Order: sequence, then C-alpha cells, then structure tokens
Amino acid sequence: MSTEVKQSKSLLHSALLKVISEKLSLIALIIVGIYFLVAILTSAGILASDWNKEVGASYMPPSSSIIFGTDIFGRSVFQKVVKATETAVAIGIVVSCISILIGTTMGMIAGYFGGFIDELIVWFYTTFSSIPSIMLLVAIAFILGKGTMTVFLSLGVTSWVGLCRIVRAEVMKHKEREYVHAANAIGATHSRKLIKHILPNISHLLIINFTQTFDAAVKSEVILSFLGLGVVGRPSWGTMIDDSKLELSRGVWWQLAAATLAMFVIVLAFNILGDALRDALDPKLKGK
Amino acid sequence: MKMRNILLTVMCSALLVLSGCTKKQDANEKVLNIVSPAEIKGYDPIQADDLYSGREISKIYEGLLQYHWLKMPYELVPNLAESLPEISKDGITYTFKLRKGVKFQDDIAFAGAKGREVEASDFVYSIKRLADSRNQATGWWVLDGKLKGLNEWREKNSKLAATNYDEEVEGVKALDKYTLQFKLAKKFPQFLYSLAMPFTYVVAKEVVAKYGKEFINHPIGTGPYILPIFDQGKKITYVKNPTFREKFYPSEASDEFKNLLSDAGKKLPLVEKVVVHVMVEPQPAWLKLNKGEIDYYSVPKDNFATAIKNNKLSDELVKKGFILEIAPQLDVTYTAFNFENKLFHNKKLRQAMYLAFDEAKSNTLFFNNTAFPAQSIIPPGIAGNIKDYKNPYKGLKLEEAKKMLAEAGYPGGKGLPEIKYDIPDSTPSRQAGEFFQKQMEQIGIKLKVVSSPWPEFQAKVKKKSVEIFGLAWGADYPDAENFLQLFYGPNKSPGANGSNYDNPQFNKEFVEATTMLDSPERTAKYEKLNKFLAEEVVALFGVHRQAYILEHGWLKNYHPTDLHHDAIQYLNIDTAKKAQLLKNF
Repeated sequence: MSTEVKQSKSLLHSALLKVISEKLSLIALIIVGIYFLVAILTSAGILASDWNKEVGASYMPPSSSIIFGTDIFGRSVFQKVVKATETAVAIGIVVSCISILIGTTMGMIAGYFGGFIDELIVWFYTTFSSIPSIMLLVAIAFILGKGTMTVFLSLGVTSWVGLCRIVRAEVMKHKEREYVHAANAIGATHSRKLIKHILPNISHLLIINFTQTFDAAVKSEVILSFLGLGVVGRPSWGTMIDDSKLELSRGVWWQLAAATLAMFVIVLAFNILGDALRDALDPKLKGK
Repeated sequence: MKMRNILLTVMCSALLVLSGCTKKQDANEKVLNIVSPAEIKGYDPIQADDLYSGREISKIYEGLLQYHWLKMPYELVPNLAESLPEISKDGITYTFKLRKGVKFQDDIAFAGAKGREVEASDFVYSIKRLADSRNQATGWWVLDGKLKGLNEWREKNSKLAATNYDEEVEGVKALDKYTLQFKLAKKFPQFLYSLAMPFTYVVAKEVVAKYGKEFINHPIGTGPYILPIFDQGKKITYVKNPTFREKFYPSEASDEFKNLLSDAGKKLPLVEKVVVHVMVEPQPAWLKLNKGEIDYYSVPKDNFATAIKNNKLSDELVKKGFILEIAPQLDVTYTAFNFENKLFHNKKLRQAMYLAFDEAKSNTLFFNNTAFPAQSIIPPGIAGNIKDYKNPYKGLKLEEAKKMLAEAGYPGGKGLPEIKYDIPDSTPSRQAGEFFQKQMEQIGIKLKVVSSPWPEFQAKVKKKSVEIFGLAWGADYPDAENFLQLFYGPNKSPGANGSNYDNPQFNKEFVEATTMLDSPERTAKYEKLNKFLAEEVVALFGVHRQAYILEHGWLKNYHPTDLHHDAIQYLNIDTAKKAQLLKNF
C-alpha cells in the first residue's frame, strides 16, 4: 500500500511566492536580479571590460553616442557605472555575509548559553555600538590601509550589532520550545541543537537582515570613497561622486548623476524587496 | 530665581549661542586669512623639510639671514644678523655680528616668564641641535659635512649616553655675546643660503628643555607672530608678537616690485592676526576665496577654465576686485623610485616607464597646459638648466617604450610584479595617480595606487617603505645644488634623497661642483650632472609649474614667491577697500 505524502511548502518557498505575486516587489526583485547579473557579467569580463579605454576627449557631455558622457580621462561614464556595479554588489554581498556571520554567531551564543557569556557579549556589543560607526570605519581604514578588502572588513565588522541583538532575543525564545527540549532529550549536543534545530527556525531573520545590510553597505562604500578611504584602482560609485565634487565647478554633472542614479535604483529596489520579504517571512505578520 | 528670570536667562544664552554660530566678517579687523594645503607636521625647525611646515614655522622663528622681500633675483639680506658676514679670503671662515636687543617670545620656560635676549650661543646650540643624531633631524643634510668638526661631534655624541652640548665644535663658535663664527670643512658657497632656511632658525635651550618631546607643539621663537595654541586642528591662529623688535618694511625694490612700496618704512608685521585654514581639498578653499573669507589662493585646476581665459580673469572675478598673479615657480614635479628596491636598478625599466608617460596630456589634464614640461631636474631660472634640451626618454613614445621594456627583460610587462605607487591624499592626487596607472598599463606595467595623508606619506618615504612615489620639490635656495642633492648618496632617507639613489661617480662630481664658486665652469658642471640624471632617468621628471594666484583687491604687498617662507609679515589688508569690495559679494 502506498500513501502519498503531501509536501508542505517551506517558509522560504511560500515567501517567495508571496513576493512574486505582488507587482511592486516583483519589479524590485527583477531589478536586483539585473544588478546581480550585470555584476556577474562584468566580473567575467563580458560587460564593460574596456571601461578603462578612452572613447573621446575628456569631459564630453552626454550625447546619443556616449550616453553618460566622458570623465577626466575621456572614458565612458556609462561603462564606469556598469563596472562599478560589480564593486557595489561585491561589497554588498561580502559585507552582509561578514556581518551575518559575526552577528548570528555572537547572538546565538549569547542567547543560548545566557549567564556570564551573555553578559559579556551584551557588554561588548553595547560598548561597540556606542562608538560612532563612521569614526570606527575611518579608524579601521587607516589601520588596514586602503583598498577593497579594507572596505569589506571595515563595513562588515561594524554592521553586525543590530542582527546580534535580534538573534539573541530570538534564540532565548526558541531554546525553551518543545522541539529543543525534544532534541535535548535524545541527547543532542549544544552545537547540534544550535545549528541543526534553532538556526533554521530563525533563518528568516537573516534573510531580512541581508537585504538591509546590503544597501547600508552600498551607501557606506560611497561615504568611505568620498572621504578618500575607499576602493582604489577600479571604478566605484563612491569614487565617481568624489571626482564630481571637483568637476561640478566646471559644469560636469553627468558623472555625479550617473553614479547617483545607479545607486538610487538598487538601494530603492533592495528596500522594497526587504519590506516585502519581511512581510512574507515574519510569522507574526502571517495572514495579515 | 523666579521662573520668569530663568526663562529669560535661557533665552538670552540661546541667543548668545545662536549669534556665535553665524560668523560675520568684520572688515575693520586687520586679519589675514590664508590656506595651507597640507596638514602641519609640527613646529620644530630642524624637522621642517616640507614647504607647508616651513611656512608655518617661519611665522614664529627666524634665522640669521632672509631673502629681500622686494628684490628679484633673490637676494640674501641680514635678519637676526646685523649685517652680512665677514668672509675670510679662503672662503672658509664666516663671522657674523648679531643684532642686539632681539628677544625670544615670552614663555614660562624663561625666568620670570619673560623672553630673554638672543645671544650667539643660542645659534651654536641650535646648530648643534640640528646635528644631534638623537633628534633625527630631517634637515641635517644642509650641514652634513659642511662645518669643521660638526660631523665628528655628531659621531662621538651618538655613542655617549647623552649628547654633550657644552663640548666646543670648531665649526661653530660664539666669540662673544654678539659674535658668531662659522668655519667650513671645505669651501661651500651655498652655505649662506642654508642660514635663511628654517632648519637653522634659532631656538632657546630653556624652551627645548622645558617641553621636551612636546617642544614640537610649543613654538617659541623671535619672529613676528606667536601661536597661543596648537592643536593640529583645521584652523591655526597666530597673533602679533608684542615683544617683536623694530623691523621695518623695505624701502627699496627692483623694478617689478616698485608698486609694492606703499608701506615702506612701516613697522612689521603689518596685520594683527593671521588665520591659517588647513584645507587639503581645493574646492572648499576656492569657495571660501570667492566669499572673501580667504585673501589669496591658487586657482584650482577644475576652476581654471571658468576663472581664466587667455591668461585674463573672467569679468565676474574682475568685478569682485580680484587680481591675478602669474609667476613661474622654481620647482619640479617628479615620480621617484626607491632605489633600495633592486627592481629599479634596471635602467631600461625606468626609461621604458618614462617613454610611456604622456606628459603633454598630463599637463592639459592637471595643469591646464600652464606648466613647462620638465626635461631634467633643474628648473629654468637656475644656472644648470639647459635651454632647449630635450630628454630623449621623455614620453610619449609608446613603441620605443614597449621595446625598451622588452630589453629590460619584461616583454609586455611579463614577469614584473605589481608596483605600489604612493601619493599624498587628495582628489587631484588620486586622479593623477590613476592617470599614471593608466599610462603604465599601456605597456603592461601594473601599478597599485596607495594614497595617504601628507604627514603619513612623508613618514613612509623617510622609512623607505615606498616603491615609487609622486612628489614635487620646490627650491630652498636659488642654486642647482639644492635640486641635484636630491640624488646625492649621503642624503639618503631620512635625508632629502627619498629615492635613496647612490652613485659614487655622481656623488664625487656633485661634491666637486658644489665647492666651486659661481662661474661658467661651475654652470657647465651643473649642466653635465643635470643631463646625467635626466638620461639615467633616476626619476620621471614631470613639469615645472607656474603659480596662478588669485588675490583680493584689499590684499597689499603680495607677490607669489618660492623662497620667502616668512612672507606673511609683509602683507597688509586695506580695511576700507575690503569693506567696500565686500559689498559686491
């Protein structure tokens, strides 16, 4: 006799369906998808591989042939914007991953073990978050020297506190649930309970946090580059905006416009997507 | 206090705070507002090896000699000395009579907190302090090997537990309270120039002893201004030194400066207060200049096209009363190699890099085509510069560059590691760095641009932790020796030879040339050395710049200058004109 088991939809699956069903969030998802695709294609050298080539005189205004005009060295601003997408997406992903790794680990340890360990971690992150993050960014950039790696690390290590707090609270709640007690009863170790049982149940928080950290990281990169501490040797929206602070006085606005537009679109798309995901994933909002 | 009174107090103090926020310019106050385009390293004369620190130090400290403010070519005149020295026939002994009654600025380091009179022994102390190896003075190169017995004294004391300043040195002696005698180790006609440089300014022993390591932040000199507080901020405020001696604005001038004589005979300094705004980025400074908050500033590259057309100011700026000053500078920009790194001993590699660099384009992009391409290190206007000389390795000659790189052993850049290119921190520097990187990429050389704030950049060069780096050198005195010494072996870092270039043949000929008196033979020798450095491509020489400086109509007595670090004391503000002109803003 065979019985048919009806697979129930996973949380992620149903969330995704919900996101797709809404027009606005679908558009946001598609935009984010395009940015990621562009980033992949540029890093593979298929798109904008010759961004460093001169296509005309310096500071040519936008025209039908050169869509966003040229920069100081006569390079196409459009190609630079496209190439900079790679930098932005890489920073977004790496920074979010670093921040999730640190935030989740610390939050889970604090929430699960409680007591002295919890106090220590809470003390650490409250102290840490009391330092203005822009000062911390600058300090880290000065110590590590400049470059893409520095931007990854400095943004990563300064953006985990929010997630850590949420994860800690969530784990505290979950560790008293029956499924954890059940796991305990069959002799599961701490690490098994944490990783195998609790983590999947709080994973929606990580996804929501990813979208938030991503666009914060993109914006922070721009600030760092504007302060002269950012990415060197490859185009980034931040360095393009840094260039334009000089160029504006000679009436060259297109580099600023192009970089800002590119940034605006992805940050907006990520915000909309983040909201939609939160609505879809947060069990408290389910059915509302 | 009644509630009403409390409210009144709160309101009044809020008003006070708010009125403090809106800064209004008082046109009647004689305050000079100027810009320093780099952070100040501190106020120790013996460490003043960069132009920007040198300028600040010269507001407070003084030396034996100075350059005449209104004479061109540059002419040395006495400052703390009463007159120019008596020089013995063999050119070895220089005897100075000191000006009497010159006082150090008041400070708690002195008895009764009153500055005492400067004596010949203070100069002896200051010279020894420059020589003391414990101080690691960046200015030691100016006297290295120049004064009899001074190097030996330095050597000997470096081995002792503490430096013995009481031990007499034959090369620098106080004959009496007001007589100072120098004895040179060998003839060195440029010696007098070094006595007008910040390195040899006079400091007081008591002040150095009192502040120790903090001396660098507590400048107490004899100069026209005092610095009440130095906190490495973005604004440095100097006030007039109340005990400054009787020093007067010059009454003679060469023809081009005859129009700057209206203050002749007036007591210096002419303004009460000087505010130096430390502004690394050109745009904010330019905006401040246009609001009348800064008295003069050089035209930034990105504002050039709108401000100046055919070497004339735009109508809008003329209407605001601006005056444009154009003057060639005694300087050279260059990209230097650190010769401690064996990679750069490969002459063909250096030549290939030079051939690949598009100088004309760089001149257009970064200097609006106003600079003169540098074929060698010595700028025009200094004996040793070769007129109409063309450096055979100066770019852009792309095909030759590629061939040369292949001959160097790196065809198409293969086998060459990524080279770090260090630059000071600012947007134009970063753009220049990026441009250089792009140029080198054309022949397959990969560069990584690293930018650091100016003091940190300098520290890296001193520590020899750079590979190649972009720099400019402005003359300390109008003699080719000052440029050629940048590649003289014994001047290696922390000295002025940041390239750490050391070629025995060059060193030998350099020493020979510098001990000669000014003569056609010496000029020929300078030219030979100049050409040698150019063709060895010991650095990629960029341009000799021209200063395009915009000054407000109310600023008096100003002219662009390379060597007058102490220029500020001569400047004046026409307050009536300022009030009138500010109405147009």
